[in-house]
Amino acid sequence: MSENENNFEALRRLLALKRYETPPPGYFNSFSSHVLKQIRDGRSVESTGSLGNLFGQAPWLGKLLQVFNAKPVFASGFAGALCLLLFFGIVYAERPDLASQPLLEAATTTASFSALSPTALSPLPEQMGIVSSTNPVLSLQAVASTAVFGQQNPLAQPASFSIPGN
Amino acid sequence: MSTPVTSTDDSEAPAPVDEESLVRQARRGDLEAYDELVRRHQERIYATIYHMTSNHEDANDLAQESFIKAFQALKSFKGGSSFYTWLYRIAVNKTINFLKQRKNRIHMSLNDLDFNTEHNPDLVALISEKTPLREVNLAELQEKLNNALLKLSEPHRLVVVLHDVQGMPHDEIAKVMESNIGTVRSRLFYARQQLQALLSDYLQ
Repeated sequence: MSENENNFEALRRLLALKRYETPPPGYFNSFSSHVLKQIRDGRSVESTGSLGNLFGQAPWLGKLLQVFNAKPVFASGFAGALCLLLFFGIVYAERPDLASQPLLEAATTTASFSALSPTALSPLPEQMGIVSSTNPVLSLQAVASTAVFGQQNPLAQPASFSIPGN
Repeated sequence: MSTPVTSTDDSEAPAPVDEESLVRQARRGDLEAYDELVRRHQERIYATIYHMTSNHEDANDLAQESFIKAFQALKSFKGGSSFYTWLYRIAVNKTINFLKQRKNRIHMSLNDLDFNTEHNPDLVALISEKTPLREVNLAELQEKLNNALLKLSEPHRLVVVLHDVQGMPHDEIAKVMESNIGTVRSRLFYARQQLQALLSDYLQ
C-alpha cells in the first residue's frame, strides 16, 4: 500500500486545493442561528422529502400525478368520476326503498335466527337430559325429527310448525 | 478547514462542556445545547457536503437539513457511536440521496479559493513547474479538479473527500459509511486511480 501511497502523492497534493475552497466570509456566524430558527418555527424543510417518501412507497401515485400533469383532461375526467361516485353514493343512501331493503332482510333473518337460538343452537339441555314441560320441548323434537329427513335448514321450521291439541 | 472548537488561553472562560452532556441536554429539547453542537460540527459537515456536491447553495441547504433532521432524530440516537459519526452519517446519506436525484443536473457553484492558497508550495509548484499547461491558474485547476471529482461515483467520491480532503482515518470512514475498512481502502484506491487518469495533464 505504501508504494501506492507514493504513486498518489501528486494527486494528494492536488486534492489539497479543495481545502482552500471556503464559503463566503461570515457564513458560519449565522449558520447555527438559521438552523435553530427553522427548528423553532417547526418549519419542515423536508416537506418535499416526505412527499418523495410517499411516492417511493406508492410509485403508481407518482405516475398518476405525472399523467395528470401531462394531460389535464385525465385529471378532470378522474375528478368527474369521483364526483359521480359521490353523488350516487348520496342518492343511494337517501332513498329509503333501496337503502332499507337489505336492512329489513337482515332484520328478519336475525329475528328468525334469534327465535331459534335459545333452543336449536344450544344442545346443552338435550345433552344433559333436561326436558322442559313448555313449548321448547316440542320445538326441539320437531327440529330433531325434520333433521333426520335431510331438512338441514332449521330456520324454516318455526314458521310452519303448529302445536297439536292446542 | 479549521477545527470547529478552539480552546482559549483565558482562564476565566467557562470550561467546554463535553459532547455527551450536550447531546443529553439537546435530547431534552435544550436548543442552546444543540446550538453548541451545531457550532462544533458545522464547518466539517458543510465542507463534506460541499466537496461532494461542488455547489455552495446545495451544500448550505443540505447541511441545514442535516442538522434539523439530526435534532428531530436525537431521541433515536442510542449512543452506540459518537454523535459526530452519527451526524456525519445523516449528512452523508442525505447528500447521496440528493445526488442520486439530481443525477443529470450537475451544476457547479464553487466557493472562492482562500487567499492562502497561493502560499501553498505544492500548489504553486503544480501550476508553475510541473504542469505542462503552464498558463493554467489556480481557479482553472480548481474547476478541473471539481469536474474530475464529479465524475466519480458517489461512494468513491465520498471516500476521497473524507480521507484525502478532510483527513478522516479509514476506520472512521468505515463507521460513517457503515462498511468495513477493506471496502474503504479498495474504494479509495480505485477512486484515486480514476482521478489520476482524469487529471493526468496536471500531475506530470
